[in-house]
Amino acid sequence: MSILKATSSRPSVSRPRPKVEPVKVFSFITLVVTTFLMLLPLFFMVSTSLKSKREMLKFPPTFLPESWQWSNYKDIFDTLQFGTMYMNSLIIAGLSVFGTLLSSALVAYGFARYRGKGNQFWFILLLSTMMLPYPAIMIPQFVLFSKMNWIDTFLPLVVPAFFGSAYNIFLLRQFFTTLPDELFDAGRIDGCGELRMWRTIALPLSGPALATVAIFAFIYSWNDLLTPVLYLSSSEKFTLPVGMASLTSSRFRIPPWHLLMVASVLAMVPIVTLFAVAQKQFVEGIVLTGIK
Amino acid sequence: MNKNRKTLVTLIAATTLIVTTLSGCSGGKSVGNIAGEANGGTANSGSNSEQVTITHYTIDSEDRTFIEKLIPEFEKEHPNIKVKVEKAPYEQFDSKLQTLIAGGKSPDVTSHYGYGGFAEYYNKDMLFDMTDLIKEEGFKSSDYNIPDDLMKIYTVKDRTYGIPVNMYVTLMLYNKDMFDAAQLSYPPSDYEDKNWTFAAMVEEAKKMTVVSDNIAKTQYGVDFTWAERDMRPLYFGAEPYSEDTWTNGGVPSETHFDSPEVIAAYQKLFDLIFKDKVSPNSEWSKSVAGQNGDPFVAGKIGMSIGGSWNLAGANDFPFKIGVAAVPWGGNDQVRSTLYVDPLLILKDSKHPKEAFEWIKYLLTTDVQEKSIELSGGNPPVNTEAAEVYYKHFEGIDPADVKKVYEGAIKYGYESYNHLITNYSQINDMFINEMQPVETGHKTLEEVMPVIQKKVTEIIKR
Repeated sequence: MSILKATSSRPSVSRPRPKVEPVKVFSFITLVVTTFLMLLPLFFMVSTSLKSKREMLKFPPTFLPESWQWSNYKDIFDTLQFGTMYMNSLIIAGLSVFGTLLSSALVAYGFARYRGKGNQFWFILLLSTMMLPYPAIMIPQFVLFSKMNWIDTFLPLVVPAFFGSAYNIFLLRQFFTTLPDELFDAGRIDGCGELRMWRTIALPLSGPALATVAIFAFIYSWNDLLTPVLYLSSSEKFTLPVGMASLTSSRFRIPPWHLLMVASVLAMVPIVTLFAVAQKQFVEGIVLTGIK
Repeated sequence: MNKNRKTLVTLIAATTLIVTTLSGCSGGKSVGNIAGEANGGTANSGSNSEQVTITHYTIDSEDRTFIEKLIPEFEKEHPNIKVKVEKAPYEQFDSKLQTLIAGGKSPDVTSHYGYGGFAEYYNKDMLFDMTDLIKEEGFKSSDYNIPDDLMKIYTVKDRTYGIPVNMYVTLMLYNKDMFDAAQLSYPPSDYEDKNWTFAAMVEEAKKMTVVSDNIAKTQYGVDFTWAERDMRPLYFGAEPYSEDTWTNGGVPSETHFDSPEVIAAYQKLFDLIFKDKVSPNSEWSKSVAGQNGDPFVAGKIGMSIGGSWNLAGANDFPFKIGVAAVPWGGNDQVRSTLYVDPLLILKDSKHPKEAFEWIKYLLTTDVQEKSIELSGGNPPVNTEAAEVYYKHFEGIDPADVKKVYEGAIKYGYESYNHLITNYSQINDMFINEMQPVETGHKTLEEVMPVIQKKVTEIIKR
């Protein structure tokens, strides 16, 4: 009897069924549909990367490969010096990120912290360099680097990153100006010099901004095609975009889209990884500093 | 303060280390050195003071970079010449070439593989005049089986600026499966067949065209992409550029894009899409084959008139194909566009003589024959080597390929993109201005006067 009682009393303690809010359902469905739409090109990229050369030419295109050509992922290494190109791209992009972060953060710190004469003027002058399109400086820069005997080395692709980038300096400067002066005053009282304040106060507090700059710099360098094409001549120094462009370079042949898609899938890995890691690391960074 | 200094010193040290390491990457093999050799002569060449390095600049694709495989043999025969291949993707070919020349690192040998054609290079004064070298070396085109007519293409005012190496023509590829399904006989490969006319082609095309709401079922009879857009009136006998264009280095004194003959010629082509409905419009082609793709490859086109490079992919097509003559369209002299690629020596070359040796080597029958296989089917200008080329394609009768090639040469005219100055700009303009006609939003009468005005402006630049 008691058991029966207990059982029968159960409905009264159970939680009320959550109310279905039509707006929420609608947003949920919209989000899911949009996500699928956004993922569709990515899906086709992966799907094409697993198709055979013949199937790739089919119309209408098949949604999933008829026979899964996992060997495409091996073939790309035979078609291009894929491993070498991947490594070259990683080295160049890694050093460019380091260079951009170092130089841009230093310059931005200067612009944010010092109130000198003509401060605005210099800043505007710096920003105006953003208006210069690359083709305008392409030839003079090439002449300069070729006089320095830097052609067919990674130097012209990496060294400019160590001389700041106007866009990133602007971004970091805006962030640095939001840091409270009190922190730096406290640092000074404790005997910090400017460089130390930059390193121990400004940088640790600027995680999200630095992460943004790092991602921008990496993507810019990773995707850059024209600069490596101009400066590199030996195949073993080519970067990934140069190699991938060569796959579609023949006007007279059907491009091996399936291999190009393999290369694209693999080329996406570092960017996605960087994005995931940078997000997590730097968000943690700001939590640890205790400033909100 | 000390710590500050320490940080600064560490940063400087790290940067210096990176810079040194990266320059070290280039090591003894720096192309800076090689390029220096190429441009500065024998300064860096070490013990062998006679040795020079020449640079061959080309597109970074397998059908061009195969020349790397020909180098060892050449260097063995010419121990004093080293050949370096410098390459760039198609889209960046022109930018890199301009930059190399402006930066004092001009390559020695190249061709007009990018957007800019021969006339553009000639008018920018980029080319070395080979006439004296040809005389000095006693070079005869007949020794290399190059037809005299082809040699004339790159001769301006009796001076030779380029020597032909490859020759593509215009031909018709047809889908045998579609012809069989419609129970039609295959089109002829003989240019002298008087029944093979543009009108006859349209009739055949009508029998193969299926326009359906189901995109998978839709197929068209013909896709007529004869030459670049500005040249197409020539097929019907209308000439849009003045006669002097072909003798003065590609600068027309007059153009006639708004003349009734030229407009009528274009009308015939657009009628294929809008009146006879046997050809696809550009949107359909793009949806089937992608931005620069060819819907013929997808098996949706019965007959495709285009460059003979379409043959090179033939072995991969998922259907049977044949080659045929381009039908007669009203011009008794011209039925095929020729795309003859020359080898050029650049004006800033420090070693034109050695560059010429390399060019001669690439033209020999033996090397031209080898190049067909290595390149995956590049057509040679060397008529003897051409016999090997005709046999290169699986499932296509070599006799047909030969007939089509010979007819195309007899009724051929060199592509305007090689012969007219500022061509890349003319071509871009044509693509943009013709777009509304191709999609059916404007008429030719509206567009052609605008094109005429813009062509005149571009030529004057």
